[in-house]
Amino acid sequence: MMISNFQATLEYLGGERDDAPRLLAGRFEWAARCVVWLLAILLIYAFCGQSSKFIYIDF
Amino acid sequence: MIFNTFSYYFLFLAPAAVLFRVVSPRLRPWVIVLFGSLFFIFFAYGMAGLWGAACLLIFLWESLVSRLYRPTSRWCLVGIVQSVVLLGIFKYWNFFTGLFFLHAANPFRWQGAFLPLGISFFTFEFYHYAWDRRAGRTEAGTLGEYLAFILFFPTMVAGPIKRYQDFLPKLRQEPTEWSGDWERGITRILTGLTKKFAVADLLTAWTDHLNARDIVVADKRVLVMWLLAYGIKIYADFSGYSDIAIGSARLFGIKVPENFDWPYGRRNIQRFWQCWHISLTRWLIDYVYIPLGGSRVSTPRIYANIIAVMLISGLWHGAGLNFIVWGLWHGLLLAGHRLWRQLRGEPNTHPVAVFCSRALTFVLVNAGWAFFCMNLPTAMLFYRRLVFG
Repeated sequence: MMISNFQATLEYLGGERDDAPRLLAGRFEWAARCVVWLLAILLIYAFCGQSSKFIYIDF
Repeated sequence: MIFNTFSYYFLFLAPAAVLFRVVSPRLRPWVIVLFGSLFFIFFAYGMAGLWGAACLLIFLWESLVSRLYRPTSRWCLVGIVQSVVLLGIFKYWNFFTGLFFLHAANPFRWQGAFLPLGISFFTFEFYHYAWDRRAGRTEAGTLGEYLAFILFFPTMVAGPIKRYQDFLPKLRQEPTEWSGDWERGITRILTGLTKKFAVADLLTAWTDHLNARDIVVADKRVLVMWLLAYGIKIYADFSGYSDIAIGSARLFGIKVPENFDWPYGRRNIQRFWQCWHISLTRWLIDYVYIPLGGSRVSTPRIYANIIAVMLISGLWHGAGLNFIVWGLWHGLLLAGHRLWRQLRGEPNTHPVAVFCSRALTFVLVNAGWAFFCMNLPTAMLFYRRLVFG
């Protein structure tokens, strides 16, 4: 149960699910979304210089 | 590159997604057709020059032939054969002709061979449409709708592999929720890019060592780490790619099929394949496994079908003996799992047994990646070094 809740939370934060899990519902929802965007943008900015081809592009 | 370039987002995705929402419903498919064609020409030219860009004609030819498809019609068979023949010529010509001249120069070698952008994926969509039209499982749609289906650029190059009967209602529906769709879509794209840049590309420093020169001198424990890194890399890379494709489609208000559902950590190899590259697994079941008789034939035939499907899956992933061995490995694992289930009945639900089966599945799947990421002699060298030192 705990693992599936955790999975659902990650899926929501990653954009896969539309409905916020109970853990994030309410006032935390927007804050969590902002943190995810910020974190993602920071990580992309930090690591984007080493970009290589997607493996499945040549298929 | 494609999804990790600015050109994709600012020349194609953003303008197409905005235009798609502001034009009249009648013009929406043609927005996708226009941008899909430009997308194909732009990136195919970058990868394979003029001939690569000219492969846009394959889409146009296929769409014209598709207008002849009717339920039970022979034209559908023509469509199926032509899609497979095209894939065979572009992807497998040098491989199969080379098999006849193993110890000599191949006189039939196509020197200027190239792979049209996304051919392995769009072939499956052509094939699916022809097959389902023949079976009467899908309506024809208009020319614009069919072209929009095959030229829908977020999924054109590497899936997820769509189905026309799922795509059509989404194309026709009014995209209403701008803010919701864009927020979810952009979040998904950011997630995909993060997986690609911060996980997959970072692991390249380890996976680049999976070559004969480095394997010979490496410590055994390091070999295991390199292979494990490849297992994580290919998951982050392809699931990241799928995230971007699905998120991009969402900007149009179109939901396309999911491709991954936490595949690592599944209890057995069958569950793994139900959660790894889901759209491919479903395609193989519907268009290869079931037509071969599926599970409604004799027991030996069932096992033969399973192995045949995975061999085809392996060959589809690449024209090389290593991919055939990779497919065979997964075929044998699936057949072994089915046999085990027949002999032992329902799986043990004790937590220790569950943990062990998850760990075993993870190890077996990762062991197979050696044949995916290295050619056959190098993969054999890898295992020789791992087992015998």
